[in-house]
Amino acid sequence: MHEIYSKTAPEVDYSQVKRIEGFETIQCEYSAYLSDESKLSPKPFDYLFFPRSEAELAAVIKMLNQQGTPFTVAGARTGLVGGCVAQEGALISLEFLDKVMEVYRDEPSGEWRVKAQTSVSLKNLDSMLRVKQLPSLEQSPVEAVRRHYAEFRYDPDDYFYPPDPTEMSASLGGSVVTNASGARTYRYGPTRAWVRGMRVFLANGEYLDIPRGRYTASPAGQFVVYDSKGGATTITIPDYPQPRTKSTAGFYTAPQMDLIDLFIGSEGVLGIVTSVDVALLRHEEKVSIIQFVDSDEQAVTLADALRSEGRIQLDFLEFYSGNALDLLRRLQGEEPSTVGMPPIPENAKAALFIEMSFDPHQADLDFSILEAVINDCGGSLERSWAGYESRELDRFKVFRHMVPETINSIIAERKKQYPGIHKLGTDMAVPDGHMREMWDLYRSHCEGLQLEWCAFGHIGNNHIHVNILPRNLDELEKGMELYEIFAQKAVELGGSVSAEHGIGKIKAKFLKYMFNPEQIDQMRRVKKALDPQGLLNPNDIFPVEVTA
Amino acid sequence: MLKIDHEKCTRCKVCIRSCPFGALSIVGGLLHVNELCTLCGACVNVCRFDALSIERKKALPEELARYKGVFVWAEQDEETSPRKPRKVVLELLGKGRELADKLGEELTAVVLTGPGEVDTEIYGKYGADKVIICKHELLETYSTDGFTNVMCVVITSKKPAVVLYGATPHGRDFAPRVAARLHLGLTADCTGLEINSEGQLVQTRPAFGGNIMASIITPFNRPQTATVRPNVFPVPVEKPESSPLEEIFPVTLNRTAIRTRVVEKRYLDKDSGVSIEDARVIVAGGRGCQKAANLELLQELADKLGGVMAGSRAIVEQGWIPHTRQVGQSGTTVGPELYIAAGISGAIQHVVGMSSSKTVIAINKDPEAAIFKTADLGVVGDAVEIIPLLSAMIEEENLRGVQS
Amino acid sequence: MKIVVCVKQVPEVTNVQVDPKTGTLIREGVKSILNPFCEYALDHAVRIKNSVPDVSITVITMGPPQARDVLVRSLELGADEGVLITDRKFAGADTWATSLTLAEAIRTVIPDHELVLVGKQAIDGDTAQVGPEIAEILGLPQITYGVEVNLAETRRQVRVTQEVEKGYEVIEAKLPALVTCSKGELVRRAPSFKDVINARKKPIRVVSANELQIPEEQLGLQGSYTQVVKVFPPPAKKSNLLLQNLEAAEAAREIYSFLKEKRFVE
Repeated sequence: MHEIYSKTAPEVDYSQVKRIEGFETIQCEYSAYLSDESKLSPKPFDYLFFPRSEAELAAVIKMLNQQGTPFTVAGARTGLVGGCVAQEGALISLEFLDKVMEVYRDEPSGEWRVKAQTSVSLKNLDSMLRVKQLPSLEQSPVEAVRRHYAEFRYDPDDYFYPPDPTEMSASLGGSVVTNASGARTYRYGPTRAWVRGMRVFLANGEYLDIPRGRYTASPAGQFVVYDSKGGATTITIPDYPQPRTKSTAGFYTAPQMDLIDLFIGSEGVLGIVTSVDVALLRHEEKVSIIQFVDSDEQAVTLADALRSEGRIQLDFLEFYSGNALDLLRRLQGEEPSTVGMPPIPENAKAALFIEMSFDPHQADLDFSILEAVINDCGGSLERSWAGYESRELDRFKVFRHMVPETINSIIAERKKQYPGIHKLGTDMAVPDGHMREMWDLYRSHCEGLQLEWCAFGHIGNNHIHVNILPRNLDELEKGMELYEIFAQKAVELGGSVSAEHGIGKIKAKFLKYMFNPEQIDQMRRVKKALDPQGLLNPNDIFPVEVTA
Repeated sequence: MLKIDHEKCTRCKVCIRSCPFGALSIVGGLLHVNELCTLCGACVNVCRFDALSIERKKALPEELARYKGVFVWAEQDEETSPRKPRKVVLELLGKGRELADKLGEELTAVVLTGPGEVDTEIYGKYGADKVIICKHELLETYSTDGFTNVMCVVITSKKPAVVLYGATPHGRDFAPRVAARLHLGLTADCTGLEINSEGQLVQTRPAFGGNIMASIITPFNRPQTATVRPNVFPVPVEKPESSPLEEIFPVTLNRTAIRTRVVEKRYLDKDSGVSIEDARVIVAGGRGCQKAANLELLQELADKLGGVMAGSRAIVEQGWIPHTRQVGQSGTTVGPELYIAAGISGAIQHVVGMSSSKTVIAINKDPEAAIFKTADLGVVGDAVEIIPLLSAMIEEENLRGVQS
Repeated sequence: MKIVVCVKQVPEVTNVQVDPKTGTLIREGVKSILNPFCEYALDHAVRIKNSVPDVSITVITMGPPQARDVLVRSLELGADEGVLITDRKFAGADTWATSLTLAEAIRTVIPDHELVLVGKQAIDGDTAQVGPEIAEILGLPQITYGVEVNLAETRRQVRVTQEVEKGYEVIEAKLPALVTCSKGELVRRAPSFKDVINARKKPIRVVSANELQIPEEQLGLQGSYTQVVKVFPPPAKKSNLLLQNLEAAEAAREIYSFLKEKRFVE
């Protein structure tokens, strides 16, 4: 059904909520809260709140509503597009809503699920599930919770939460509102595919409990939200088509869509997610393989071949360009033990990282199909590194993540000389069959302008990150111009300008490449319906007028 | 008992020369062992034909009672003259004294050293009743075989109930060989030693990376042996004067018995190569240190504590320190004895890199900083102000120590 | 030339947690791995094999049947064949009983061993005793804490760079000899996927107690000289003492006393 009733949280005294007042104090003593990973600078704002419960959150929202004060919401502050960077009013940190509330088996589907508050980090969730140690559940006053947890522990299989964005210290709630994806998205889909329910607080301080499957849009494409005071808000979902690729640009929309999907990927502009129910997957043993090849083009060809080979199922398919490998080589030269992997072979000019199911105890291993595909593309399975023990998988993962981290360090170093310099990384995806064309575009432009650049990412989803490392402000400008060219081409080919990072504040200008003004207006109207005063996360996705 | 395989024996007589007690001889054309044999195993060690072996049975209670006294291997500081013991020996004497008192028995220091002068008074000052001195030119520097042979002879001759070694590189090198040769129980890296109501030595040590503690006994074999790491037990209070009973113990050692040879020494100068991963003490800085120049204050403190300076990802990204000094999930994971976090907020990516530190001190201006959850001692304050004052205090105490 | 590398399967220690109520280890989710120091020992062996002709590497382990996994791992990393010593009778062995069993197995199964490499210590026990004890039982000279292991030119001696407190010493011994290995500056190897597949084709021999000439009462728990009488969780780690509202000098003094109490300063 398309009608839903919002509820009110218990009343608490607003004055009890921990807060810091005054931008100067915040700047001095809470400097970590000024920005996220994008390092976008904030504009002065007046309050920093730390609600310790949903009731406190509701009290804060209600008070800010009364005052007409805009507010920005922060989770783990690991975002890349400035989503939680406050520019006026108040910043609300959700970090104290960090409890895992329940692990339970959903009977009809047989899935194990976790209900957790928004600020549980993905990394903590992962480690708790790995060792099946969730002390808050063991000590829960609710008998059913303790019983389900005991069942979970006695289940002989291991379970995990599949979405694996690179930044695992991100909060669960944050990953839901950005519809985060990672390497494993290739096989398992983005976060959206794993969210089974949520509680979301609206801009008026009331909340919705949305289990997946209960609330679907009417044939006319509408939802109605009834609040506790008898008011009714109608939301009309936009009718533009979704791009044929991974995308977190703009709101998700589909005919007769589930209400929960409207909030997933909405980057927090429609409501504040305080708890989520997610499904878990049974753990299988995997092998991680780094396959070295002779050129970037060969890597693209091999990726396409692996994707088309239906008899092979890969969990992920990632790409590292020749210049990304050179970055790692330089790092290895300086400090081999930090990198932790043997020296990258000299003849390796690009690499694919793949992960797939693997049984280390099988007496005979038959990977002849994989070997054949690789050989046909001119590669050789001997020119690879492989590991399947969990610490090998971890070591390979650390190695993969060194590329973006090294880029960050280099940018930081250059920022000392040119404070205006910042990271330039694309986040574009195109449909199958177009990766080669995009690659040639990236390469010809970057090399044409003799920029320092490298590329890596989820080639399985035709989604690679091109990073330009500007050496001065002139190169920064040239790089930004190139991004406009890349963005337009990606959209032209049916792709997305933001496949996983979101729009936030930094990518707002790219939205117009994907959506015409009428479509953007449809989105604005959804926003306006749920946040009439425009107080919630203003200036994320699209600048919204604040009405008093 | 010593078993001789006459088929294998070639009568080369190397074993006869190696026996410290003169228990072997050729009688009637065959190798013969007499009642002087103490089962020290020196002959077994040198026989190249596998003709000798020792059969040991576990000791019966009457036999166990014959083992008395606590021995401490007094590892020498080879750079001193007259030879003095390493600091860990004093710590073991302190604990050894406790154990000996509980047993109502004597505490003896066992010195293996070269022919030069040895300070023996010092053992008395720190609680020993006796000192056994084994001098030989082949004991001038440490060797596995030399020290193993001599220690085995001393033990089989003197029959102590307990032998303690410092778990220094040398201690950990030969204590297990002695244990294997004499069929003794050995517990390594003990953090606790006590005598229980049955007069047994209860040896407590960490296992599984320190996640669990185990208490261990050696019920049937004597002596009970254990190694203890430096800095686990305190150095006891020095007694004003005391002359321990000295015994010069005769040493028989053959050059052929020592099968390893040092061919080169490459000692590092102070500045190079301690990786933060292996550091015992780490002083780490975060954004709260405000600027790169302030890291010098941390370096100074690190120097005074014998440690290294490191930092969080935040300051690596600022370019204040290189990647090699980064502590954290994407940097290095460290597990030092002491971790001082200065101006570090304690974001999880950092904490996962240092949470196995044994002792953590955190200084941060924000009382709610997450780092305080992992700290044994947390101080709310400005690290940039506090750390130089702390360094000054340590320097002052050091100077005072030198002067006294 | 035959090199023997002793390896051990250990739980991945960093993940091990202790149940505060029972004081026992929580086994869920704890992976078993090749002991890192054993891996370094194997690495030294592989480097010798890659630089000198006619060297073969046999890896040997004593453990329950699943210890086979670390032999397979070693075969991936460059060993030529594996030996699994497994039998219920070995259960409960302390370092002595373990060393006796391994030494006897090496003597029986690989009598032509010339160089025995073992990891300096196992990360679950951390005793560093088994290497020296095996050396003693086999009558081999030993060099501990080796960070570089090479054959001297004549191939009848091993030359080892040993980690000492002041830096390094280079030590030689005649073969056969035993070396316990430490990390040195090696970056851990990564086998190719082809190596992983081929490892499953290399031979692994399984040896049980009755193939070794050791009387039963010298095996396992019976044969152990030490006995664990109690396990318990370590004392509560974090006192979480938080001092506020102190002047900088006062704060420094508090920290100094703390350091003194914990004996980080004299």
